[in-house]
Amino acid sequence: MSSVVRRYGFAVGSVAMALGIALLAQSQAIHKLEFPLLLMAIAVTVWHAGVAPGIVAVVLAGLGFNYFFTEPLYTLYIEPSDRPVFVIFVLFAIVIASFSARRRRIEGELRQARDELRAEVAERTQQASLLDLTHDTIFVRDMSDVISYWNRGAEELYGWKAEQAIGQRSPQLLQTVYPVPLDEVHAELVRAGRWEGELDRMRADGTRIAVACRLALGRDERQQPVAILETSNDITERRRREQEVRALNHDLAKRTTELQATNKELEAFAYSISHDLRAPLRHTVGYTELLQRHAAARLDDKSRRFMTLILEAAKRMGNLIDDLLAFSRIGRAETRKTMVSLEALVNEVLHEVRPETEGRDIAWTVGALPEVYGDRSMLRLALVNLVSNAVKFSRTRSQAKIEIGCTEGQGDETAVFVRDNGVGFDMKYGDKLFGVFQRLHPTEAFEGTGIGLATVQRIVHRHGGRVWAEGVVDGGATFYFSVPKSGWEPNA
Amino acid sequence: MTEIGRILMVEDDPNDVELTLTALAEYNLANEVVVTRDGAEALDYLYCRGSFATRVGDNPAVLLLDLKLPKVDGLQVLQQIKSDEKLRMIPVVVLTSSREERDMVASYRLGVNAYVVKPVDFHEFVNAIKELGIFWAVINQAPPGSIRKGGLG
Repeated sequence: MSSVVRRYGFAVGSVAMALGIALLAQSQAIHKLEFPLLLMAIAVTVWHAGVAPGIVAVVLAGLGFNYFFTEPLYTLYIEPSDRPVFVIFVLFAIVIASFSARRRRIEGELRQARDELRAEVAERTQQASLLDLTHDTIFVRDMSDVISYWNRGAEELYGWKAEQAIGQRSPQLLQTVYPVPLDEVHAELVRAGRWEGELDRMRADGTRIAVACRLALGRDERQQPVAILETSNDITERRRREQEVRALNHDLAKRTTELQATNKELEAFAYSISHDLRAPLRHTVGYTELLQRHAAARLDDKSRRFMTLILEAAKRMGNLIDDLLAFSRIGRAETRKTMVSLEALVNEVLHEVRPETEGRDIAWTVGALPEVYGDRSMLRLALVNLVSNAVKFSRTRSQAKIEIGCTEGQGDETAVFVRDNGVGFDMKYGDKLFGVFQRLHPTEAFEGTGIGLATVQRIVHRHGGRVWAEGVVDGGATFYFSVPKSGWEPNA
Repeated sequence: MTEIGRILMVEDDPNDVELTLTALAEYNLANEVVVTRDGAEALDYLYCRGSFATRVGDNPAVLLLDLKLPKVDGLQVLQQIKSDEKLRMIPVVVLTSSREERDMVASYRLGVNAYVVKPVDFHEFVNAIKELGIFWAVINQAPPGSIRKGGLG
């Protein structure tokens, strides 16, 4: 409100001051000063106080001019001869007022534009400093690849300071190697507005790096491309790892091929054993038995014993071949894994070994057994071997005790044990137990081919588990095997 | 008088031939056994060609087939027989040393009638041969067109 009073007061004051000075000058015999002074008062009023006070100033100045300076003096009447002068005065005053008003308006607009610009600059500056906060590499270049913006991430990645980089052409500064010709990159940018790819570049210190880069095209209001915004990140390490993985895969593929070849050879070997080794054995046994039948009556006891020995040896050889083939088959066969109830499996196994337990006094203890993930027939074979071992090596006891149960293994595995109170073994030879053809007892005492525990070990290893044993000479033995709970498959 | 069907045996190992014949002889089944020593000869017999060009063209009551044979192996012979309209009815028994699953699977895929692994034990071997001989040459009604003759007193 006060500003309105001030503005109109300014109008009244400036006109009054002009009139005062003009009257003072007239009293000093300086004439014709009132015209420019009043015009000046109008101009100053419009300039400082605006259009409406300017109109008030024009009216007051017109009245003052009429009253004090046109004949007859001190009336508002104007002589007809003076009217053109008065009209010119008023017109001139209006022209000055309107020029001033326009000027004032333009100045206001300019000021507003300047303020807006200033605000925008402030906002942009803030945004730019925010871009500096990110670790991502961001820079902007114009359509002739001259860098115009370079954030802190770019400084860190490429090693060039913003002041070094801005104004440089980016392909030269960074020695960029594009995967496709640069023209294609630009064409794609113009077509789609963006481009993504992996580039090779050089840092300020001369080391080469690989970057994954995303380009976005900036356009002006007329849709003309003006700038390219590039964000990129360092993938040198990733690429190095990828190369490592590729190399490893290559090696692996090579080794797999070698292994497959070896496996094939082994298979052929086992196959030929199966066919060719068994035939002569069958003939040895067959003809010896025929000989026994034909000549037994004519032979003395010693010779008959020799024939019996030949037959026993040949049969043992047959068992060895069969066990070896079964052992090799476990290594070659594919595992078919499902959830297997060990409880059901142990029951089957106990049924299977029943013939071996005839006439024996055996106290069986079977604990709670879990389900495991594995190949049912293989696990069954492993259990048969362990249980029939326990039966065999406890036969010197008047009452044998055999316990089958489950303990927590290390970490994520289920451990199953078979314990007997039999002849046991010396822990010194514990590591030999699971080897092929390794026996800790003479054949006369305990028959067997020495392949059973090796078979158990192979089966358990194929399941990703472990085997171990505890024993005391003449104090029983406990055999353990573990199977991973998570169903980890080493070579399935 | 029971009729005995003719047994065609394909076996390259002379020891196995003799043992098999001995086993069959114990049950008077050996007379009607024809022995061929490889796959090619067996096919010659079946197709009445080569050294068998003059024989009467009837099919055997059963074929005892070894798998590992010179020239044409057992599986090839089996395949040929089972894909020939005139021969496919002949019962084929694979008699082999091989316990290998892939041999067994391949044989059954090709339509074998029985798969017998030769036992190492001579008693078992003799028993197996005897039972095979009696079943296929005597008990089993061979398909029409097989050679049969009186025997087994």
